[in-house]
Amino acid sequence: MAKDLGERADGIRRRDFLKAVGVSGAGATIAGCSTGEVERLLPYVVAPEEITPGVATWYSTVCGGCASGCGMWVRTREGRAVHVEGNPDHPVSQGGLCSKGHATLQHLYNPDRYHGPMIREGGVMRQGTWDEGERLLAASINGALNPLPDQPARGVLFIGGYMGPTSSALVDEFMLAVGGDRVDFDAVSDAPLKEAARIAYGVNAVPRYDIGAANLLLSFGNDFIETGTSPVAHSKGFASMSAVDEAGGEKGRFVYLGPRLSLTGLNADEWIPIRPGSEAAVALGMASAIAGPDAAGPYANLLQAYNPASAAAAAGVSVEAIEELAGRFALEPSSLAMGPGPGAHHRNATAANLAVMILNHVAGNVGTTVFYEGVSPAATASYSDIESVIDAMASGDIGVVIVHGTNPAYSLPSTSGFVEAFEQVQYKVSFASAMDETSALCDLVLPDSHFFESWGDSTPRAGALAIQQPVMQQVSTFDSRPSGDTMLAVLGHLGSEPEVGTFYEYLRARHETAHDGSSGDFETYWHQTLRVGVGESGATDEGAAQLRAPDTALSFDTPLLDGSDDGLTLLVHPSGRFGGGEFSNSPWMQELPDPVSKITWHSWLEVNPHTAEERGIRNGDIVSVSSPHGSLEVPVWLYPGIREDTVALAMGGGHTGMGRYADGNGVNALGLLPAEAEQPSGALVTLATKVVVEPTGQSRRIATVEGSDDQHDRPIAPAVQLALLGEEEHEVEGEHHEELRELQGVGGFVPVPAEEGAPSAFPLPGAQHGEYADAHDGPRWAMAIDLDKCTGCSACVTACQSENNVPWVGENQVLMGREMSWMRIERYYEHVDATQADDLDVRFLPMLCQHCGNAPCEPVCPVFATYHTPEGVNAQIYNRCVGTRYCANNCPYKVRVFNWYRYTDDVPEPLNWQWNPDVTVRDNGVMEKCSFCMQRIRDAENRAALEGGRDVRDGEIVTACQQSCPAECIVFGNIRDPQSRVSEVVASERTYRVLDELINTQPAVNYLKKVTFHEVSSGEH
Amino acid sequence: MATLGTRERGALTHPDLHRLDDVNRDVLKMLTTPGKGWWILFGIAAAGVGLFFTMWIRQMVLGIGVSGLNAPVGWGVYITTFVFWVGIAHSGTLISAILFLFRAPWRQSIYRAAEAMTVFAVMTAGLFPLIHVGRLWHAYWLIPYPNSRFLWPNFKSPLVWDVFAITTYFTVSATFFYLGTIPDIAAARDRATGLRKKLYQLISLGWQGSDSQWHHFGKAYIFLAALATPLVLSVHSVVSWDFAMSIVPGWHTTIFAPYFVAGAIFSGIAMVITLVVPMRKIFGLEAYLTTKHFDAMAKLMLLTSLIVFYAYLSEFFLAWYSGEEVERTAFWNRLFGTYWWATWTMLVCNGFVPIMLWFKRVRYSIPALFVISIFVNIGMWFERYVIVVTSLHHEYEPFAWGIYRPSVTEMCILLGSFCWFSFWFLLFTRLLPPVAIQELKEVMPPPMRKQAGEAH
Repeated sequence: MAKDLGERADGIRRRDFLKAVGVSGAGATIAGCSTGEVERLLPYVVAPEEITPGVATWYSTVCGGCASGCGMWVRTREGRAVHVEGNPDHPVSQGGLCSKGHATLQHLYNPDRYHGPMIREGGVMRQGTWDEGERLLAASINGALNPLPDQPARGVLFIGGYMGPTSSALVDEFMLAVGGDRVDFDAVSDAPLKEAARIAYGVNAVPRYDIGAANLLLSFGNDFIETGTSPVAHSKGFASMSAVDEAGGEKGRFVYLGPRLSLTGLNADEWIPIRPGSEAAVALGMASAIAGPDAAGPYANLLQAYNPASAAAAAGVSVEAIEELAGRFALEPSSLAMGPGPGAHHRNATAANLAVMILNHVAGNVGTTVFYEGVSPAATASYSDIESVIDAMASGDIGVVIVHGTNPAYSLPSTSGFVEAFEQVQYKVSFASAMDETSALCDLVLPDSHFFESWGDSTPRAGALAIQQPVMQQVSTFDSRPSGDTMLAVLGHLGSEPEVGTFYEYLRARHETAHDGSSGDFETYWHQTLRVGVGESGATDEGAAQLRAPDTALSFDTPLLDGSDDGLTLLVHPSGRFGGGEFSNSPWMQELPDPVSKITWHSWLEVNPHTAEERGIRNGDIVSVSSPHGSLEVPVWLYPGIREDTVALAMGGGHTGMGRYADGNGVNALGLLPAEAEQPSGALVTLATKVVVEPTGQSRRIATVEGSDDQHDRPIAPAVQLALLGEEEHEVEGEHHEELRELQGVGGFVPVPAEEGAPSAFPLPGAQHGEYADAHDGPRWAMAIDLDKCTGCSACVTACQSENNVPWVGENQVLMGREMSWMRIERYYEHVDATQADDLDVRFLPMLCQHCGNAPCEPVCPVFATYHTPEGVNAQIYNRCVGTRYCANNCPYKVRVFNWYRYTDDVPEPLNWQWNPDVTVRDNGVMEKCSFCMQRIRDAENRAALEGGRDVRDGEIVTACQQSCPAECIVFGNIRDPQSRVSEVVASERTYRVLDELINTQPAVNYLKKVTFHEVSSGEH
Repeated sequence: MATLGTRERGALTHPDLHRLDDVNRDVLKMLTTPGKGWWILFGIAAAGVGLFFTMWIRQMVLGIGVSGLNAPVGWGVYITTFVFWVGIAHSGTLISAILFLFRAPWRQSIYRAAEAMTVFAVMTAGLFPLIHVGRLWHAYWLIPYPNSRFLWPNFKSPLVWDVFAITTYFTVSATFFYLGTIPDIAAARDRATGLRKKLYQLISLGWQGSDSQWHHFGKAYIFLAALATPLVLSVHSVVSWDFAMSIVPGWHTTIFAPYFVAGAIFSGIAMVITLVVPMRKIFGLEAYLTTKHFDAMAKLMLLTSLIVFYAYLSEFFLAWYSGEEVERTAFWNRLFGTYWWATWTMLVCNGFVPIMLWFKRVRYSIPALFVISIFVNIGMWFERYVIVVTSLHHEYEPFAWGIYRPSVTEMCILLGSFCWFSFWFLLFTRLLPPVAIQELKEVMPPPMRKQAGEAH
């Protein structure tokens, strides 16, 4: 063929043509060279071995987003990270990943990262070189320790946040060599839990919970799904606990005791709205009821002092509710109670956690669902540590302070005096990777690399060790350096020659030393660990922990609160999206609707509707909230899931120097809190004061994505009572069924029944759009979502946003109703009662394109921009779209989103590096929506074709949302294959399809009804 | 007109009109003396057209985001205004074609203005789908044209039907309008001078008023009238199917086609009154546009108001009667939801205000009719707003409910569309005889010798 073409009759040979082109091309190049500066376009002269253009390379590493240290797989394309997933081999996270984990990608490409070492000169920061910066740090340390004769010697102080064991060891080594002190500070800390474990069991670590093994779970204000020790692992455990076992008709029950329903609380089956701070009384009252009058052990006397009646009085709920719960807790062979977490750190938080430990003890849960193993994969640094150095800093005794991995200028109450004290330090150094409030005060910034660019490790649990390996070269925009390397270099400048030159060598050497050889030679072990992401380590369980007598005096009473008695108790809790504020500069997190309130970007004060009505406050009214420690103004969001005497404010807002996406959004709730440490753990108290809430007369529109929190009697998120599972009657014979049958009798057009989701029902007679000859042989992609498992955590939403290049639009656009997310978690209240112990029923529904077999969007598109593929996917052809928006109007699920502007234009360098090259970045004026991760389907199909044309295996295609879901509630696959998992799941009697019965859309997304313990009222389907 | 009966001859013109010459003189005078009022109006209209295109171009550059549209309300003021102008376009053809076929003699004085209104209203309406699409530069994909990729529009989509409906309607109504003006242009030509005369010579197509020309003219006119008549019904039916073919509660009803056609005629007649009253005043056409004409138009307005109001009531009734929760909520929400004010504006303006037309005194009072016609115009715009916006903002999925607030851009373009329309209409009153000379003459009493003698 080529020859034929080359010797065509017209006489031009291919070679001649190429020569001509070559010569003219060269001429053009020469001409081009002469006109200006030559750009450095470097081809792959020697291509990197592991990179095939267009093919993703995956690396396993450890998430550095929080102390939990979940395992991560990072997808890199052409040498840059574009998406993260959970590592299924990781013992803790087991493949799931939270929203924040995904958002760490935006920390990597954060446009507000420091571009290089920053040196303050004459009050202005300028960029310097690394050598200059490191020498400056060494010189300042030298100067502080060995001052000029007429000056006093000053100390060197290191303030660190949570870091992996090896990093932490290096810091210790560094400070030892320098001769300074180190304190740690975590904005969100589990110190009371750890302290309680120390007091009760002598274990200096937070306990490990096996939620999945429990059948009755009690949370005393522990928000384990969104914050706490390990949200992903706990969500996974919770899902396996609470998911219904259809064959056995069993399901774990979850009771939430606390003044406010957090996301965790919203997942409860019952809510006992106890008074803030009464956890200890309730736990002890229950424990005493379980243990009976002849309780033994070190806490027998304590138990004597409590009973259900005293608990009920303290909590403000009925005695029966406490007794009944205690009875169930004792009877249940496998139960678990969790003490108050960072969202409820009142002045007796350690005592409350200890009381819950006693409750677990008397119920016999230690060793079955609670484990004291001596490993703390949690941030547990206390406020009292940093409090102790504030005075030293203020007095000018500190010559050099180094801040690393923490932002105390933001995350401490202003009354702590930290900022003022910090400013008294002669030379302030920050290792912050990106700008924050603390580094803004510093004289020298030596920016740390992102954890995707550096080495590290973590101990997710006893006996396991995870290596955090870099997945890519430094983002070239930023001249950063891993702080381990920086410290080693500074040590060199200080004259104490370290044994190793880089942190990588240090890390490797440390693990080589620790390696006991039992699992083969180190080299093999090391490579295996890097590849898998997790290896075994020598440390194991410290053995069964014994309850011991307390060595500290504790008060188990409801703590006193500051402020006037007629005020409302203020709850300041970590945000599921921002943590303590570390994630506030991620636009994904800013725009992710809060899983509870569905509000984006700004802060809100949660107020019970009754309280608000009494005070004449409406939704969106801006109120002034004042405590004895400060005041601020914030809009009100009415929330039935909070006690009438309590208001709540999330952390993470009100940044002033963290970057373009964080600054100016919301308020910093810490401004209302006293700078006070809980005793004896030393944690910062977050539930300490009553506040006066007064309307300011102003109001604003809430940037929410929620339309209505009520289903309006529509078959959207129905539920089924556990007792009715397996019985024919559970099919609520609603009006529709009857009416439809009548219609059918007279030949009317009626929806085709899904026949309980039998694969033979797909595709349905109405589903055949397009003339596809082979439509019946190919796959029909479908999804199943188990609403009984879904916790509403919204990890899928961020995963989808990351995978599919879904842009964020900003607060004003959200206010206009233009959020672009392809997935949303709908949240409907069915029964929420903040006044008494009662059943709780809140429904979460992940809503994405339903890929209808009989799609309303398809026939109305005038140009076939949306059409049905032979594989049953409702496809959207971006470059064919004219933008009439008729499809969106006609979509009953409202899952289509429109590009009102060219939103991606606003994405600054290098944040746009995060775009997934497998997915088109959409243009202005086109419609878009969930594609069932078509790029992943094609990837698997292509792989199958390359591997000898085999069929795509079930489970080979994993959508981004499915992969991320910690609860594993999403299953994707070919529903025409009766053996596929999705077919098996869909065969459940709980399967239904949203609105299908009403409008005959025949969706490919099947939902499994939530299972409740209480009776589902008929109106709720 | 040769085909017109002579029963009511002379009944509708002013008794002071005696001579056929007077008609030529009075009508053609309009083309030569631009009053100050005309220039002021024209200036305002031209400025509005400037605003219109400025805002539109800005939207093209920045994106549809400059509107207030969102999810779930993907259509708003643009589509509302589109339907409004298509509706306005209807009564022109109705008056000229249908009433012509039905031999309604009162149409002669107003049909020319009504036809012009039709053409300009379609010209205005036709811009709105273009304004509203996300990628204007690809809007031509809605037109079926042969291409190498064998990509055709989706003939199932009502939007494609719309393309055909609007273009057909524009073509036919423009042709019909032009054809009817030819004899009058010739009359104008005979009096005009200079450039204007050249222009009229060209577009009068050599009209001499010979018997054979009149004969052919009559045939063609009847033929086009017959062709245009079904379009009156079909175009707005198709526009209504833009909504009715969807599954949106509040849109998906079978009543939409007749309901929209009646509404279109209703709004069209109201707009004719709104335009003709000032025209009559400014150009002193009291002799030609008598209260009898207005009475007839008012009766038609009353009739269509009743039909439209009946449609409203039946929609509410059927929503309740369906027993369907989604449907019931949609209509309950219309009356008492966020946009209650729009719905009540619609009900008051279109249902209650026209009740006054039952009274003869009101029908014969031109100021009263003018005010009522303004109410109807407003009410009919809000009717479309209610249909488009309130239906969309509360659909099936309660969590996805939303609120739409029109933006400044949309209001400017809405305002600009009136200016664009007025711009053309004002030009029309100066360039073409706005009252049909030849048809007026037909209904005038034939000149009598005696009268002629008296005149001398």
